[in-house]
Amino acid sequence: MSTAVRLKIEAIDKVFKRRDKPSIEALRNIDMEVAEGEFVSIVGASGSGKSTLLRIIDGLITPSGGRVLVDGRPVDRPGPDRAVVFQQDSLLPWKTVIDNVAYGLTLARVPKADAHRTAQRFIDVAGLHGFEHHYPHQLSGGMRQRVNVARALAVNPKILLLDEPFAALDAQTREIMQAELLSIWQETRKTVLLITHQIDEAVFLSDRVIVFSARPGTVREEIRVDLPRPRDLHVKRSPEFSGLVDHIWTLIEAEVRAGLRQG
Amino acid sequence: MRRLYELLEQDTRTAGLTRVAVSTVAVLVVWQLVSMVVTNRLLLVPPAEVAVALVKEVETGAMWTNAVATVTAVTTSFVVSVAIGIAVGLALASSQALSLTAGPVLGALNSVPIIALAPLFISWLGLGFASKFVLVIMVAVFPVVVTTEAGLRATDRQLVEAARSFNATRLQIFTTVTFPYALPFIVSGIRVAWARALVGIVVAEFFGSFAGFGFAILAASQTFDTARVLGYVIMLGAMGLIGSVLFAALERRLAPWRQE
Repeated sequence: MSTAVRLKIEAIDKVFKRRDKPSIEALRNIDMEVAEGEFVSIVGASGSGKSTLLRIIDGLITPSGGRVLVDGRPVDRPGPDRAVVFQQDSLLPWKTVIDNVAYGLTLARVPKADAHRTAQRFIDVAGLHGFEHHYPHQLSGGMRQRVNVARALAVNPKILLLDEPFAALDAQTREIMQAELLSIWQETRKTVLLITHQIDEAVFLSDRVIVFSARPGTVREEIRVDLPRPRDLHVKRSPEFSGLVDHIWTLIEAEVRAGLRQG
Repeated sequence: MRRLYELLEQDTRTAGLTRVAVSTVAVLVVWQLVSMVVTNRLLLVPPAEVAVALVKEVETGAMWTNAVATVTAVTTSFVVSVAIGIAVGLALASSQALSLTAGPVLGALNSVPIIALAPLFISWLGLGFASKFVLVIMVAVFPVVVTTEAGLRATDRQLVEAARSFNATRLQIFTTVTFPYALPFIVSGIRVAWARALVGIVVAEFFGSFAGFGFAILAASQTFDTARVLGYVIMLGAMGLIGSVLFAALERRLAPWRQE
């Protein structure tokens, strides 16, 4: 693995100002780096600002302080070097699978024939072959998230940002999707930053897991995952895997419980 | 009987046409039966006599004259209403200030029976096309304004965020997300506008015109020619039905994901 830093986050703060209400400090002094080709996850209790950080990295919202660098260049707006796989359904319901996958390319004014050729390639990668002309409402939740992943990959970003991509799926489908994401990553060698609240998902997929504390979100601990690659679902039954999951759980358990009481 | 019922339940085009046929036949049968009880032909005439009256109107050419007058007036003013409605809805959705100031007035006008102003429009604009045109626009434009604004405001924020993350410009967000999302809303407003436009045209023709279905209905009723009155009412009903079916089909086509 190359050691070049692809994504660098420097002293990011984010405070949400609200009218007539106290402002919310979502993130405080976040520093982190993601190397080229690395798979990094951020886990944390809800309220740890992890989705906010992802939106700052993508350039959808501006930080109150600090900066984001991609390959050493600061970024402050969405760009073709980053693509997001969103949490919920963010597919256009009036477009077919192939048009949805080609969406980012169409926005970038890639000619339709070229856009469809590229889209077709990622439809095949994501296991959507044969569903090109279906509409999102005709697909299962798992299939729709495949379209979301294919759409992000189709614009050929340097960094793939995943915002709890499998949170809405049932447990079995989620397991399958995790394994598929891993094999897609192994094929494409993208730099990946995954936001999740599933600790086992983070450990299974990542080279490194960053644990956030809540309110305000700060980096609590970074954990290197040295499980051998390529990994398959059996790795989840190994003692090393359980040890890592347990360790992360104890780090955030108190905050999850506090969050429960606050409702 | 049972098999017919099962056919009617289906979601196919044949089933849809059969449903229309069955209810039309039912109305004709009831109409026929009632007209056998009510024998005063000033009050009600049986379907066959209405058909005869319609054929006669076609033969004398009166049908053609009236149809041309009504259809041209109602379609031109309807198309203009839709254009104005969408434009105003767009303006309201894109400007918060405009929406806050003009919105309440437009909302109030939407619930006021503007049709009551028909005599006034006719005294302003005279008998003929101009008063029909303005009256139809006044009654038909509001449903389009309201649904256009609502549709554009309803846009899924998740979809907008996804478009932004793919670096979409404001115009691209509008053309690829906001507007397609609003389209089915707008079409449902257009469907209501068509029904209102027909009411508008009839009332305008009652009060101030020398041709058209509304004029013909009024003329026929003044000579107690109930068959002709009902004949022209059926023509108007058919226009309403055709529009309603067309716009409903368009709505389904634009938003297939809403059906399931």
